[in-house]
Amino acid sequence: MKNVKRNLKWMKVTAPFLGAFVLAACGGDQEDTEATEGAGDGEAPEVEEDDGTLVIGTGTDMVTFDIHDHNATNTEAIHVNMFNYLVKRDDDEGFEGDLAKSFENVDDETWHFTLHEGVEFHNGDELTAEDVKFTLERVIEDETLVEHSNYNQIKEVNVLGDYEFELVTDGPDPALLNRVSRIGSGILPADYIEEEGWDHFLSNPVGTGPFEFSEWNRDDSVVLERFDNYFEGEVTEWEEVVFRVIPETSTRVNELLTGGVHIAENVPPAEWDRVNDNDGTSIVTGASNRVMLLMLNQDDEYATSDKRVRQAIDYAIDNAALTDQLLGGHGTPVQTRITPGNTGAHPDLFESYNHDPEKAKELLEEAGYGDGVEITFNSPQGRYMMDTEVAELVRGMLSQVGITANLEFLEWSNFAEMHTNGTNEEMYFLGLGNSMFDAGLGLDDFSSGGSDRTGYENEELDELLSQAAVNMDEDEREEQYQKAQEIVAEDLPSVFLYQADAMAGVSDSVNFEIALDETLYVRNIERN
Amino acid sequence: MKRYLIRRILQVIPVLLIISFIVFSLVFLAGNPVALMLPEDASQEQVEALTESLGLNEPFYVQYGMFLGNAVQGDFGQSYRYNQDAMSIVLERLPQTLELAAVSMLFATIIAVPLGIWSASKQNSFVDVFATGASVLGKAMPNFWLGIMLILLFSVNLSLFPVSGRGSFMHIVLPAITLGTAIAAEMTRLIRSNMLEVMQQDYVRTAQSKGQKDSVVTYRHAFKNCLIPVVTIMALQTSSLIGGALVTEVVFAWPGMGQLLVQAVNARDMAIVQACVFVIAIAVIAMNLVADIVYRLIDPRIKYD
Repeated sequence: MKNVKRNLKWMKVTAPFLGAFVLAACGGDQEDTEATEGAGDGEAPEVEEDDGTLVIGTGTDMVTFDIHDHNATNTEAIHVNMFNYLVKRDDDEGFEGDLAKSFENVDDETWHFTLHEGVEFHNGDELTAEDVKFTLERVIEDETLVEHSNYNQIKEVNVLGDYEFELVTDGPDPALLNRVSRIGSGILPADYIEEEGWDHFLSNPVGTGPFEFSEWNRDDSVVLERFDNYFEGEVTEWEEVVFRVIPETSTRVNELLTGGVHIAENVPPAEWDRVNDNDGTSIVTGASNRVMLLMLNQDDEYATSDKRVRQAIDYAIDNAALTDQLLGGHGTPVQTRITPGNTGAHPDLFESYNHDPEKAKELLEEAGYGDGVEITFNSPQGRYMMDTEVAELVRGMLSQVGITANLEFLEWSNFAEMHTNGTNEEMYFLGLGNSMFDAGLGLDDFSSGGSDRTGYENEELDELLSQAAVNMDEDEREEQYQKAQEIVAEDLPSVFLYQADAMAGVSDSVNFEIALDETLYVRNIERN
Repeated sequence: MKRYLIRRILQVIPVLLIISFIVFSLVFLAGNPVALMLPEDASQEQVEALTESLGLNEPFYVQYGMFLGNAVQGDFGQSYRYNQDAMSIVLERLPQTLELAAVSMLFATIIAVPLGIWSASKQNSFVDVFATGASVLGKAMPNFWLGIMLILLFSVNLSLFPVSGRGSFMHIVLPAITLGTAIAAEMTRLIRSNMLEVMQQDYVRTAQSKGQKDSVVTYRHAFKNCLIPVVTIMALQTSSLIGGALVTEVVFAWPGMGQLLVQAVNARDMAIVQACVFVIAIAVIAMNLVADIVYRLIDPRIKYD
């Protein structure tokens, strides 16, 4: 009897822990089955068995299936496989139809589109012009959506027939095609959303893309399955694609080395040797649309308000040394933010830079800073590839010509606040993308009505930018933007450093090229 | 006992209020999340419009008041990043975190109990020296380092376990060892020193002099009497596992609350941070309560009235 009592007491002691364990184990079971469907059961190396599943390791999870309410490249990178845009950028800074069979600019403010017939959503509904109207009106009308301000230039969506519609813009909008071929440009199923509600859509998203939604386990994985009724036929050999979230870089690389993923995104130089030395994996690099630059403040109180000081900074920095020594050659020196692939790119300002320390010293002397000048220099840390090293090397180069840059690293949220509120001092290091792939967005910072970050004003530039913004003559518009870039390269409200490459570790079993917009078009990834 | 329990549960309310105030203040001081929500090329108008639509231009006390009013109704607000109810996102992660915490604790207990007892009963022997040394080592190794080393050895070189993620039982082994090692080290030392103390007690000597078997003396008379501090440590460690497996979850890409919290802090996703802290606070309080009840079960002399 005593023994029984004693045993009972023991059971009571251990019960809470056992209970928690059993509960957790049961809770886990359900998800286990789900997760294993997509990711394999983790018996490494799972992807070596060629089972039609492509696994991509990413650093952060996607944020939402609300295509209009995010601005994250890594989220769009997944969305592009599930949704189609009306048009898409081609390889030659132009556009080709995607859902639209044809498109034409009728007059300054009107664009006419004809949709492909027989395009099916993943739920079986057919795509019509009403879906386009529903989708665009959502983002045009709802001011709380993050992408609202990039779409509200569209004034009306007029449905002309089942497969025909017109977009009418608020004034001429030469960048309309750029606008409808980027983040948030996917087309949503109107009937499905109206019947089932928006919340249902968010957990069971439906698009027209080559892959349909299967499951999303937050911070773990997004699983998509091939959509067999895709309107362009069978465009991919993968039956399933799993985007696995692996935040820690070394873990992501280890997954690649052990065959847990086919592609590991964002692999920093420190890990390259491990990937390249391993049998069956290698590093792949490709240009991104991100340009690294030094934002300079032209407010009167700062030495950088003097153009000669800004030019001295430009001449002091050896852009090629940054890309060659720190990035292993994976970056391109530039003198503009508008790189090839963007409308209005200036070829002469790409792959070029100024470097002449003697001239920098002369310019400083002229500006009255012959004895040296001290400036504040802010940089984020761990945000961009090798950002700490680049900032430190820039500081060293500046000190060679007599500029003492007091380098302060800021944690990203503080840095972002400084940038967004324009509370920056003389100089800060930053990388800027251009989701519109158009010079207009990239040069907006330098117009008088733009941000407070630079405090730069130039009437000639303002004039050029406002003309180009509404100029429907493509060639003339391009010239205007190129002229604008020449002015910026001369006045240097920002000193441009280099176009950054994106890097990924890739298994030799697949053929993967990095896209300029850093999206992950699974249909372009093939087995070797 | 019942009155005690009710009193303890009521004490939770002021504790949660204080915690909510501290966390809200800290997140408020950390700054405006709008900068992180908008793209780097956003215009000033976009910034202002979003600030206003989120109510972030209101003074601190108004924002805190609104938060409290909603929190009482179980509404911790919308996550900025996910655009979804924050509490439901946090609760979605809780089972994964509990699973990892439970297995880690189980691992620690399985290692620590026999090792602690053994090294105490064979004081100054090789086993004792080994156990003491291993405990120091286990406690001294930082989690993230141990995690990465385990991955390199067992996953990359030996291909025994998957590198990261969650799925089969094999996935949980390495993160659980990573988390459990330091706890096992602490528990081993605690059990050892307590056992050594208890073994000197009169009742143990009495049991020995009655001619009882060594194992009976060790487990029934001695070990049971050194359980109170062990239970305390287990409860504390379990609650810290629920709230504090941040680094390990990130290293092993374990989709639990720790990883969520790290990302929410980075993105200043106030609603998620608040909801996480709330859940962790409840877990700590609950584990303490469990420990109190367990004391009573182990030692009937402890009374709470």
